[in-house]
Amino acid sequence: MKILTTVKKVVDVELTMHVEDGAIVEDGLQYVINAWDESAVEASVQLKENNGAETTLVSIGGGDNTDMIRRCYAMGIENGIHIDDPALAKADASIFAKVLQKVYEKGDYDLVITGKQAQDTDSGQTGIILAEYLGVPCVSNVIAIEVMDDQHIKVSRVGDAGTEIVELELPAVVTVDVSINEPRLPQMRGIMMAKKKAIDVMDLAALGTSDDEVEGATPKSEIVEFMVSKTRKAGQKFEGDAAEITAKVVDLLANEAKVL
Amino acid sequence: MAKILVIADIKQGVLKSSTAELLSKAKTIGAETAVVAVGSNIESLTSDLANAGSDTQYIADDPSLELFSAGPYASCVVDAAKQFGANLIWFGFSESGKAVAPRVATQLDAACATEITDVELSGDQIEVIRPAIANKVMQRVKVNTDQLVAVVRAGAFEATEGITGTENVVKLSAPAPDLKAVIKELISDAIGEIDLVDADVVISVGRGVKDQAGVDLVKELANDLKAGFGSSRAMVDGGFMAHNKQVGQTGKIVAPSLYMAIGISGAIQHLAGMTGSKVILAVNKDTEAPIFNVADYGIVGDLFEVVPILREEIKKIKS
Ligand SMILES: Cc1cc2nc3c(=O)[nH]c(=O)nc-3n(C[C@H](O)[C@H](O)[C@H](O)COP(=O)(O)OP(=O)(O)OC[C@H]3O[C@@H](n4cnc5c(N)ncnc54)[C@H](O)[C@@H]3O)c2cc1C
Ligand SMILES: Nc1ncnc2c1ncn2[C@@H]1O[C@H](COP(=O)(O)O)[C@@H](O)[C@H]1O
Repeated sequence: MKILTTVKKVVDVELTMHVEDGAIVEDGLQYVINAWDESAVEASVQLKENNGAETTLVSIGGGDNTDMIRRCYAMGIENGIHIDDPALAKADASIFAKVLQKVYEKGDYDLVITGKQAQDTDSGQTGIILAEYLGVPCVSNVIAIEVMDDQHIKVSRVGDAGTEIVELELPAVVTVDVSINEPRLPQMRGIMMAKKKAIDVMDLAALGTSDDEVEGATPKSEIVEFMVSKTRKAGQKFEGDAAEITAKVVDLLANEAKVL
Repeated sequence: MAKILVIADIKQGVLKSSTAELLSKAKTIGAETAVVAVGSNIESLTSDLANAGSDTQYIADDPSLELFSAGPYASCVVDAAKQFGANLIWFGFSESGKAVAPRVATQLDAACATEITDVELSGDQIEVIRPAIANKVMQRVKVNTDQLVAVVRAGAFEATEGITGTENVVKLSAPAPDLKAVIKELISDAIGEIDLVDADVVISVGRGVKDQAGVDLVKELANDLKAGFGSSRAMVDGGFMAHNKQVGQTGKIVAPSLYMAIGISGAIQHLAGMTGSKVILAVNKDTEAPIFNVADYGIVGDLFEVVPILREEIKKIKS
């Protein structure tokens, strides 16, 4: 089985973010592997270990992605592709999916594993759109993957009415939630080996496509402005005798907030 | 005039409140409205669908549509969108909506935006507002196509009094099943369980409740209040709560009148799912817990002591 895993470099959400003149202030930001993609990497490596698979990752954009890709190598991914092209500066999910389609078509993959969402967009679209372009089945929000045979996998998905168990014919795309696994920490030996491994860096031309073909200049949607989000203020906090303060708070919920 | 198609949110045979909220918003901005309902045995919902504020009801009712499957579901929505000539297609916040919206958008060659909190129309130009980066920022997104498929965040729009619709049913033919993604089983929620996203009060437990006994203790309070019962990720990972009870960035987004966080620290990813609540109460023994930064009312104390008192005091006030 050949598995393609998508990995995006994203801003660290734990850090404070400032917005000025409609843009996020770059100063003080740090970039990390998208948490959902780290789970996708772990899921791929587990499939390799348990069922035998060849694992490749692809990352689009993000400038210098060497550290992130090496970390994925150290976790057990075998091949890395980095697509970097200034034409993709305004890319939205459907453009990223078009680029991923080109990567997929060059590699004859059986399974694509993407993160459920990128933590910088919180959008959750790219993998699903990719599957539409490829015309292959797709299940999103997956929390377990089991290989049935060469042509089929069985996945669990968190749905509205409970957990859905779905059998998928390969090739297929799945998008995984972070709760699918606990990503491993790379070990020293893996880290040392990862340093020697090459990364296949390409622009769109090297990938065999062009700005026009992926519609890079005309995204279906674009962010025109960032704004500060509404923040809540800390309210009243009570310490002391549990019986007293709890009775007080219940009174406030009923008579001040009027929500009881 | 804008034509807005709303996807009916149906769970266990009941129409959820998001449908009326989205239709209300659509009517308020002067749009022509339609709704599309997909499922099995849903004929009886027709008048509910009209009353929620739709003037046309596209209904795909077929035994093959009983269990959710994204492919056939998307086909029904695309079919309705084309027949209606919709330029805006709105899903309420749901896992099925998040799975289907990008498919519908791709098939229509339209833009797709998830988690939107507002929409602005001027002439043919569509813009949406949405939070991103775990709610740390808001984005204004310009749509460059004349059609937009969107998933609306829970609590973004309100149902308004006096919105009406008319019954005008258009039956959709059942789409072919997806033979390449076959749903084998649904390990479903208990029948009649209160849905987190719909509930007026939501009570969530975190690692502070420690174990099953702690979960059960808080569950009693939730039962008393007929509240939705949710949790932080820590309790889902610990195996104490079902996955679809998780509130947060990668779980459910809720916006109830009252949210109680019991033994939850208030990690940014949890806050991303509940800071839209009207009123927040936090119970935590750590006075420095970040949850207190967003709570309107905070009780610093041991939840095992506080929760039983909370139950008693609420009972008193309710009687
Ligand atoms: C990509 C990603 C996505 C995530 N998505 C989500 C998500 O959707 N939802 C989510 O919830 N988390 C999510 N998380 C996890 C999140 O970062 C936190 O780890 C998690 O929310 C912590 O859960 P908790 O507050 O229950 O546990 P803890 O952080 O361990 O907090 C437990 C709290 O209980 C208090 N406590 C302990 N004992 C008592 C007592 N006897 N009485 C009163 N208080 C007590 C403690 O003071 C503490 O504040 C995500 C993380 C990542 C990386
Ligand atoms: N630029 C990118 N490079 C690689 N993978 C991406 C990129 N953008 C999105 N993805 C993948 O698609 C998933 C969903 O992204 P999004 O649709 O932005 O929420 C991510 O978790 C990644 O796995």
